[in-house]
Amino acid sequence: MLELRGLSKHFGGVKALDRLDLTIDEGEIFGLIGPNGSGKSTTINVICGVYPQTAGSVLFRGELMNGKPPHQRLRAGLARTFQNIRLFPTLTVWQNLWVAQNSPGDIARQGFLPRWFGTTRRTRQEIAELLELADLGHKSDELAANLAFGEQRRLEFARAAAARPKLLLLDEPAAGMNSQEIDDLSWRIRRVRDSGVTVLLVEHVMELVMGVTERIAVLNFGHRIAFGTPSEVQRNRAVQEAYLGTSAAEAGPADGSA
Amino acid sequence: MDGYVITVLSNIGMISFIALSAYLLLITGEISFGQQAYFGLGAYAAGAATAMFAQPIWVGILIGACVAGFVAVLVGALTLRLSGLYFSISTLAFAEMVRLVLLIVEVQVEVDGEMVGPDGANGFHDIRWMFERDISLTEFMFIIYALLAVVLIALLLMERSRLGSVFRMLGSDDLLAEMQGLNTVRYRILAAGMAGAIAGIGGALYAHFTTYVEPQFFNAMLGVHALAYGLIGGLGTAFGPLIGVAIDLGFLEAVRFIQGYRMIVFGGLVAVLLILMPRGILDEERVHRLKVLFSRRNDAGARGR
Repeated sequence: MLELRGLSKHFGGVKALDRLDLTIDEGEIFGLIGPNGSGKSTTINVICGVYPQTAGSVLFRGELMNGKPPHQRLRAGLARTFQNIRLFPTLTVWQNLWVAQNSPGDIARQGFLPRWFGTTRRTRQEIAELLELADLGHKSDELAANLAFGEQRRLEFARAAAARPKLLLLDEPAAGMNSQEIDDLSWRIRRVRDSGVTVLLVEHVMELVMGVTERIAVLNFGHRIAFGTPSEVQRNRAVQEAYLGTSAAEAGPADGSA
Repeated sequence: MDGYVITVLSNIGMISFIALSAYLLLITGEISFGQQAYFGLGAYAAGAATAMFAQPIWVGILIGACVAGFVAVLVGALTLRLSGLYFSISTLAFAEMVRLVLLIVEVQVEVDGEMVGPDGANGFHDIRWMFERDISLTEFMFIIYALLAVVLIALLLMERSRLGSVFRMLGSDDLLAEMQGLNTVRYRILAAGMAGAIAGIGGALYAHFTTYVEPQFFNAMLGVHALAYGLIGGLGTAFGPLIGVAIDLGFLEAVRFIQGYRMIVFGGLVAVLLILMPRGILDEERVHRLKVLFSRRNDAGARGR
């Protein structure tokens, strides 16, 4: 589905990503975790074409994405949410979903006049389903700016789903959520996956990652330090050290001074 | 109506076109200081069509709109990859270029034994379609407002369409629009072309109303005013810039005791409004609330019946 080969992104002297290899299979929920500044968001940004990579390549469904602008990557089937919520505040909830329907299939099916000057019944039906997915049916005509934080998060999720992605990239969707909201989010992620979407989840909140993902890669300083199922990763020593640090007693022998 | 009132109303109508032109770019997030160039190009092109080549005014207006729109697309393709301040400066530079070129262009043809056409710094005289056809100022005013209504309705329909949302997306978050699958550069060029054509229509009308245009009229002050109208009236609906024009050319012009101080009062008004209402009187939030209010009232009416 998605293959990153030797992907690097340097900001000046900072190697935010350093020769990252990663393969995500069709239909899975893949977790990408790591401490702050380990390169998780950079990975998503390079995959989506926000930043050009310094080296390496992004292959999506066998197609080389290098050099393609973000709008072409979306049309190829890559949609995302943002760590800091990004919506169109002056558009209504309904409009935010409506304008997100930009998959080639939708454009072809809707036809020129209905697409640009009106809506088809099917389009309205699909938006109603997205509103239901986000539990925002009652806020349909509200400006996105007037939504509460949690509602904006849900709208962002539905907005990304509206693009009919083949791979959905979620950049810390659970930040600031309580337990109940995390449960809802897990349900939503599984529901989208069950409709045939592969999911890459970048997240800090372990409650969500451990519960919903099938495979996890751990990044630290732009390198992949571990890879496996959630339980394997939890037991991995390198991961524990990356998150918790090494104790002085253990660090001593490791650098050969004792 | 006396001649003065008709002239003021006609000016309001004609300047509304350039205000709408600047407004269209404002909602896509571009601040253009150069819309006066397209107003000027429209005026010269339309004037040339009717005065030099004896075309009817409809052809002249169409040519004015097309020339201005076409040039705007070309300039847009060159400058819209610039962002923010750099774009604004490039629009100003381009508009000054147009003005200075018009100052030296002398292309005249002989019509009925007289030389007619752009005459450099002397301007472009004898665009006499109105006199030749014996059209009164009042009649011409109706032509202005009929065309303004057409453009306004087209813009209001555009705002209801997907394109309206797309333009607002560009204005509020360019990168997000791009990441949602929109070719933002292409839509920006489309907006620039539409804005150029709208300004061109205004210019075409202006040339025929005054029968005489000179490059000096299309200076940066006209462009700055065009911007200010949208910012005063509001960026939530195409009615916004019209309110801005009406306040400046109608209200401030009409109130006797601020005569002579109009620019000072206008400047102060812009400053105060930008502090209190950064996106104008009819901003998106207020327009949305008005829409909700009206749709509720209609719902209630429907239920009552």
